[in-house]
Amino acid sequence: MPLDTSTYSLALLRLDGRRWNELRRLTAQISTQASADGSSFLSMGNTKVICTVTGPSEVKAAPGASGRGDEAVVSVEISVAGFSGVERKRRGKGDKRIYEMQTTIATAFQATLFTHLYPRSTITISLHILSLDGSLLATCLNASTLALIDAGVPMRDYICATTAGSTSSYSSNDEKADPLLDLNGSEELELPFLTVATCGTEDEVSVLVMETRVQVGRLEGMLAVGVDGCKQVRDILDVVVRARGKRILEGSQL
Amino acid sequence: MPREVEPSLNEKQFFVKALEENLRIDGRAFDQYRELDLEFGDELGVTDVRLGKTRIHTHITAEVTTPFPDRPFDGLFTITSELSPMTSPFFEPNRPSTTEILLSRLLEKTLRRSGALDTESLCLIAGQKCWSIRADVHVLSHDGNLVDAACIGVLAALQHFRKPDTSTEGESVTVYTLAEREPVPLSLLHFPYCVTFSYYSSTVEEGETVTLLDATLLEEQLREGSATIGINRHGEVCQIAKLGGVPLDAVAFLGCVQIALVKVKEISVFVSKRLEEEAKKRDKGGLMAELSAENDRVS
Amino acid sequence: MAPSSALQQVLLSPAELSYLHTSLASTPPIRPDGRTSRQFRPLIAESNILPGTNGSARICFDDGTEAIVGAKAEVEKSRPVFAAREEEGEGEEMAEGQGEGGERGRNEWVDISVEIPGMRDDDSMPVFLSALLSEALLADGGFTRKLWINRRFHWKLYIDILLLSQPLSYPLPLLSLTTHLALLATRLPRLKSEKDEDPMFDDDWEASVFLFPQSQTAKPPATLLVMAVSSNIIFDPSKEELAVAEVVLAVSISSSPSSFTPESEMDVGERKGGSLKLLAVRTIDPPSRLTHPGVPNVVNTATGGTATDNMEMAMAREEGVWKSPRGGAKRKLIAEMIRKVLEKGGVGEEVLDGLEAVGLE
Repeated sequence: MPLDTSTYSLALLRLDGRRWNELRRLTAQISTQASADGSSFLSMGNTKVICTVTGPSEVKAAPGASGRGDEAVVSVEISVAGFSGVERKRRGKGDKRIYEMQTTIATAFQATLFTHLYPRSTITISLHILSLDGSLLATCLNASTLALIDAGVPMRDYICATTAGSTSSYSSNDEKADPLLDLNGSEELELPFLTVATCGTEDEVSVLVMETRVQVGRLEGMLAVGVDGCKQVRDILDVVVRARGKRILEGSQL
Repeated sequence: MPREVEPSLNEKQFFVKALEENLRIDGRAFDQYRELDLEFGDELGVTDVRLGKTRIHTHITAEVTTPFPDRPFDGLFTITSELSPMTSPFFEPNRPSTTEILLSRLLEKTLRRSGALDTESLCLIAGQKCWSIRADVHVLSHDGNLVDAACIGVLAALQHFRKPDTSTEGESVTVYTLAEREPVPLSLLHFPYCVTFSYYSSTVEEGETVTLLDATLLEEQLREGSATIGINRHGEVCQIAKLGGVPLDAVAFLGCVQIALVKVKEISVFVSKRLEEEAKKRDKGGLMAELSAENDRVS
Repeated sequence: MAPSSALQQVLLSPAELSYLHTSLASTPPIRPDGRTSRQFRPLIAESNILPGTNGSARICFDDGTEAIVGAKAEVEKSRPVFAAREEEGEGEEMAEGQGEGGERGRNEWVDISVEIPGMRDDDSMPVFLSALLSEALLADGGFTRKLWINRRFHWKLYIDILLLSQPLSYPLPLLSLTTHLALLATRLPRLKSEKDEDPMFDDDWEASVFLFPQSQTAKPPATLLVMAVSSNIIFDPSKEELAVAEVVLAVSISSSPSSFTPESEMDVGERKGGSLKLLAVRTIDPPSRLTHPGVPNVVNTATGGTATDNMEMAMAREEGVWKSPRGGAKRKLIAEMIRKVLEKGGVGEEVLDGLEAVGLE
């Protein structure tokens, strides 16, 4: 049992020593790869993702590629490294869960990027998952935001994501259940949680995915904590981007 | 592969103009479902759902197999969905489209992961024999809102289905034919239905988002965002999938969940009413009550 | 022979190719990026980047190509039947001895997979690269012996090699060096149980043992790419340089334990008693062997035999026009290339020492 409710109710500390509204350590780097148009490395706790962006570039003449002439198409490729989990596992490319994540990220950015500025082109986001410990979709979304900023693709605002959970499972009608922020892998297995991504500083929810059962009354608290977490993530990402911008500015003055 | 026909500029503009005047093209209110019709087949576990022009055929089958070694006490429950070229020429066999993958993922999350079907009740001998329940979802006609319709279809079919009765003696399992013993219904723990919302923002004035329920194919093609909420009538949210698209205010989203709850209650009532009618039709002369060996489920 | 799709064709004009070729063939060779013939491109390397693996490394070349390697070990039951029968046959001294003979590894204990973006797992390039890398690793059997736990159990080592960027230049050296670094950093938990008991390991990661201990000379192999233009031997070629290469060799080396010098190994080239050991040599098809678009049939190497009429004319060297090389490489040249890698104070030693320094930090 990853989150022993009895110890939690005593000390209000989670297994990894965090309080309910604490994020895990979030580190981010931007422009990590010289050959890509944009790249980033982002880790939320032990979940680590490398993201590279290619484009906007000419549409590859792939069969079935939607030929929307008036705006750029965002396509996402996710590859999960065999060594990312606790046990070594090779994931096929046909995994539906991964496919769903790819479409989620693609449609989220399709609505946030100014795609109409790049007709007849594609923006390819490729994500490499190096280490896996919960909040996967959120980490991927954050890494993509950074890499797209690095690539210089104009966008409305940052898309920032976190997960939020609730301390009791769906079966117990525990009124005192606390919402939790940024779940790690073992908490995700045990507790109901949702992934929420916001666009900008106002509570505009761009992505909201929940796969576990939870009482409808619990949802509001979880969502509020999640949206608040997104703001914290946004601040951290903003510092990284601004530091990078400053460095470029200094470099250009030489 | 032929590309999907996109709505023409005229259609698009007409739709937007109508939306600005608070009208949908088929004259429905924004939160109104199309006419829902549920038919049962002659066989048990066969349903035919019609939602406007969308039509989905669902067939439940059961067979005895060996359980997965890591879950020896659980039976198997699989949902396979197929969008055949019959539905529209843009669907290719053996190459799942995005619509198809998302449909099967949503059904999987709503029905399987939320534990709607009690898989432990499907176990015959731990680690050796169990029932494998398979739901085949065939989309016969696609006019939008496949997820909601498919969810109704599968749940109704699961409630309609009866699996052959069995008895276990030590290591041997006897499966009785329909003639020998009355088949038993599946043990369903709760009934989560899906409600899909479609969002339109850029079509109307700044900062306002129009929300539609039960979108038709044209409305789906023109929407800028969607969210599917799986919820049962007890108010347990089983699944939320807002996969990208136009951003939406968090508070407004919570409102959507409340609307979904109301809709799901309506759908639940409709499905149980239809099931009752169907049971009456099948139960000629009240034989069923006498033949049933099943105890009422204590909940 | 490497599949031809392994190397992309660089779109350079005949004049550009000719310019490249002449500058690379002059003595000393003039490389487009101003390096000397044995100088490597600058690279960023770090090891132990992923706490979830037994060993990991990342190398980023100057041109932006980047690779990450993670090694993960799992305890696996050995297939008993085969080994037991063999040992019985081999005699009693093994049983009464320390059982050293049982510490024989099997090639299937190591699983190398290469992932290259935009390519399927069964495309020729990833398959070829992983075969090449495992060939070097398994060449002398010393590596799999390290994975032996006891008669009933062994480590199964999965090495996942990810190329993160597009394969701008031939990715073999990058992948090999990254794998080398990851293996140097690979640690296995310390064994607590004895003999043939079910293995028990020390929970303390600090107590874990390196797969390649720093005290020993045995080091994982590294594969270097060497190319030749006329008689010039050039190391770490870039994509443009490969376009005019006449011979490209992938040379796998490792530092041999000082106790014995392998004489029976593929004895190509004179070995000058260096501490390096040659594990494998492979020729790689350079893109110059492919027919470039717009090449007339007479000079097409693929139809070399049939289009003999104008052979003389075709072969005539013309100033400022590059012709793809014909015929194989001279044995002397190949021997010289291998010698340059292996010699004392040569490139091979330099590379291995450089990588070891990364691991020590």
